Amino acid sequence: MKQIAGLPIDRIDGRAKVTGAAKYTADTDIPGVLHGVLVLSTIARGKITSIDTGRAKSAPGVVDVFTHLNTPRLTLLPFFPYTRGFIPMQDEIINHDGQPVAIVVAQTLEQAQYASTLVDVRYSQEVPKAVLGQVAGTEYVPDPALGEPNEFTRGDVTSAAADVKIDANYSSPTHHHNPIETSASLAVWQDGKLTAYETAQGIQFSRGVLAYSLGVQPTDVRVRTAYLGGGFGSKSVVLPHTLLTAAIARVLGQPLKVVLTRAAMYTSTGHRSEFRQRVALGATKDGKLTSLIQTTTQQASRTDEVTYNPTRSARMLYAVPNLQVRQQVAALDRPGAGFTRSPETAAHFGLETAMDELAYAVGVDPLELRLRNYAEVDPETRQPFTSRYLRDCYRMAANAFGWSRRSMKPGSTRDGQEFIGWGMATEAHSSLAFPSSALVQMNVDGTVLAQSSTQEIGTGTLTVMTQAVAEIMGTTVDAVTFQLGDSDLPAASWSAASATVKSVVAALDKAGKAVRDNVIKLAVADARSPLSGLAVDQVEAEHGHLFATGDRSRRDSYLDVMSRHGNVVATTAQTPSTPGYTTGAVFVEVRIDPRSGRVRVTRAVGAYDPGRVMNRKTARSQVIGGITWGIGFALMEQTVVDQRTARIVNPNLSGYLIPVNADVPDIQALFVDKPDPGSPALGARGFGEVPITGVPAAIGNAVFHATGRRIRDLPITQDKLL
Amino acid sequence: MKDFAYTRARSVAEAVSSQGKFVSGGTDLLNLMKDGVESHDLIVDINGLPLRGIAVSGPVLSIGALARMSDVASHPLVRQSFPVLSEALLDSASPQIRNMAAVGGNLLQRTRCGYFRDIASPCNKRVPGSGCPALDGENRGHAIFGGGDQCIAVHPSDLAVSLLALDASVRTSKRVVRLDDFYLTDPVRETVLEPGELITAIEVPVGRFTSRYLKLRDRATFEFAVVSVAAALDLRGRRVCDARLTFGGVAPRPWRSTAAEDALRGKDLSAATIAAAASAAVRGAVPRQHNGFKVELVQRAIKALLTDLGSVR
Repeated sequence: MKQIAGLPIDRIDGRAKVTGAAKYTADTDIPGVLHGVLVLSTIARGKITSIDTGRAKSAPGVVDVFTHLNTPRLTLLPFFPYTRGFIPMQDEIINHDGQPVAIVVAQTLEQAQYASTLVDVRYSQEVPKAVLGQVAGTEYVPDPALGEPNEFTRGDVTSAAADVKIDANYSSPTHHHNPIETSASLAVWQDGKLTAYETAQGIQFSRGVLAYSLGVQPTDVRVRTAYLGGGFGSKSVVLPHTLLTAAIARVLGQPLKVVLTRAAMYTSTGHRSEFRQRVALGATKDGKLTSLIQTTTQQASRTDEVTYNPTRSARMLYAVPNLQVRQQVAALDRPGAGFTRSPETAAHFGLETAMDELAYAVGVDPLELRLRNYAEVDPETRQPFTSRYLRDCYRMAANAFGWSRRSMKPGSTRDGQEFIGWGMATEAHSSLAFPSSALVQMNVDGTVLAQSSTQEIGTGTLTVMTQAVAEIMGTTVDAVTFQLGDSDLPAASWSAASATVKSVVAALDKAGKAVRDNVIKLAVADARSPLSGLAVDQVEAEHGHLFATGDRSRRDSYLDVMSRHGNVVATTAQTPSTPGYTTGAVFVEVRIDPRSGRVRVTRAVGAYDPGRVMNRKTARSQVIGGITWGIGFALMEQTVVDQRTARIVNPNLSGYLIPVNADVPDIQALFVDKPDPGSPALGARGFGEVPITGVPAAIGNAVFHATGRRIRDLPITQDKLL
Repeated sequence: MKDFAYTRARSVAEAVSSQGKFVSGGTDLLNLMKDGVESHDLIVDINGLPLRGIAVSGPVLSIGALARMSDVASHPLVRQSFPVLSEALLDSASPQIRNMAAVGGNLLQRTRCGYFRDIASPCNKRVPGSGCPALDGENRGHAIFGGGDQCIAVHPSDLAVSLLALDASVRTSKRVVRLDDFYLTDPVRETVLEPGELITAIEVPVGRFTSRYLKLRDRATFEFAVVSVAAALDLRGRRVCDARLTFGGVAPRPWRSTAAEDALRGKDLSAATIAAAASAAVRGAVPRQHNGFKVELVQRAIKALLTDLGSVR
């Protein structure tokens, strides 16, 4: 079989994207569409006492103004994680700053924007809790969500012997996703049926939640997401504005579009919680872990009580006989936290920093320490991994980086004024597949149509799926059309948890192989085919041609077989969920000018074991993206919250710093690239979120190596290194 | 955004008599208007006015108010004789913004204080008398000099800091004002400009200064200063005959420390005199809860800049 998956082909939608031809949700134009603009609460806790919409309603072009008094009532899906914990504009209660309190609908966007400034909302205000420091002592362990335990014990940490102990606290601030594309909804009703153009990472979930909340049948809802300008978890759940837009459009009897402003993205989409944690390690004098305690605290709200699986790194990374992990929450008067990829990064920062501290406490090279604690089998199940090449990742990345030349002593490497530090960390993320289905159809001209209602979230899904189908079918990429982003297509799951490739490719593989075999059956049963009389398994497909195994002169083509047949051949297949875990290692170099305390990351090398690589170019892009976000996490990103008002002080990209090109060094991405026999998706595992997970710790560890200063509170801004 | 009228001025006189808000690059004004921080009934586009020239005439480098930041930064005269000016401009914003923004408007850009830019928040600068949440709030980026109990927002212009070091003046439609006298520390009245008064040029005296700019910030580019320092020294051998030291990110206006200059003037540039200048510069600083580090960072910036500038070992 010719290998097409893995080739670094350009994105199929690349030209459309760079020329502006690609239409994103907010670009979608429908004749007669009305524009809605949200009015957001300016307090974090309290009640609306009055809301005067008179001036707004009489402003030019305004169709209507909706508040909690006249917004249609919606039904809240009673369980996480499909929506936020409450639907706003259903009553007068304010649960957080930036909560929608009104939607102004007008003929043009500008009219709606202006009129939104005329809505006069009065509140009775209570003093909010804004940050974890204000609610110390109120932490509790919530009920498990997402099938992950919030408290986990292995062995007995209290009686574990230890020659060396590390016990430290780590913290990181609230983060926001900041996708280029802000969230948008366009609702079009016709004959009681809704078409919702959405910025959604899971169009099937959006469809289900919309139907439930609006009280219509799921079959009466169609959700479409042609392209997504980044999601990073912010578009995983169905946000309140989506439900409100659809409900109001139904009342108005006209299409309605609502596009969130950048500022609204800071209060509407969830965020990575402020995070505090204690990590305590016990080890033998040669660095073999005997116990691991990790206690994390993240933020809940009065309406959202969700944790984001930070226990997994502690449970899975190393062979630790005694383990106690507890993840707590404490409620704030802030929007509930949400998926922010990878949610494992914050906990990973504490764990992988503590491992570096342990390395120095026992005097063992940080990489060697990890090898001494290598998990040969799944630490949870004690079962062998279906494949695991983390050791290869360590070796590949260390060699490329030149790690063996590292001198252990902090502050020992200088270049002129600058201190140079090298740090590393293990990287890892779950590799799940969610139940998904796909259709593969061979057309009478020998081309292939494949469909699945997954979504292109900017990672290259469209391209990778097209490649996968070409390989599965033994045809060329040009012969394949893959369609996604429409909930009327065969059901697929979220583009979340780095699960898309493993979920959807598995379904495509199952359907595609059935179609291929059925077409081969047509050929071998047809006296006009040179392959006539062969068994199905004696025929191979490549480049759109069918060959007799071992005799390539006996050949037919999809085009010829299908034109003789005269009808399409199609199969829809469904695949179940599967577990998995993807690992890697990242090594970074920092340079620090001691006069200013500013940290620059000057090199980064990552090596990964994602099973089979599906596209070397898009996989490398994910490494660049993940490491870049990790640099932001380590050095600059923070959502600043006023502690008195629980209001965000920097809800925009001029105040919330993310890395710019000049902050991003040369990044080298290496792949083991060996198929995982446990993966039903051509041997590929989930990958996208892996490359960020270890970066904050690796950078912090490098800063320690450069300066001897251990910074346990992120971000590492220059004031912390003066 | 509220509806507004728009007109193009065909002459300085027409602009001045228009009673509207002048716009050139609009890189700050449009954001302020969209965010509701400012609101104007009439926008007067002055881009058609002949105020873009950059030339030396006699003892003065004259920069038209409508010259774009990128044009000034790359101008050979500026790069040769006024490196601090070119460096400060290139350290500002992004290439796209530098291509749009005019230097006159740059001097008048508003503070980046998050409370000022959030119209739901009290702010004495935006709504006099409403209060200043930064005093006891999120003030990591705020002033350690020149603030009071009304406002501790910092002025964001790098250009202004470098021009102040060069003892530049602002030529307006009615007068010439030294930059020393141009900026105020009042939260509401930020400059001495009167209603309708239009900046037409920036004038920089040609001197024998060696100059340099150092900007420290939380990422590599496209970010305002946490602390910046501009130095212009008249060095004869090691001897500092004259010096001007100015600072950004630390005060409601581009800040100058004559005490630090006095500590250098007439002395040999040495580690000791540099240290004396650094400690003189921060005398009287009033740090707040989250910005105390700026007191240390300013001194380090002075030391780094002067050490490099004077090749002090």
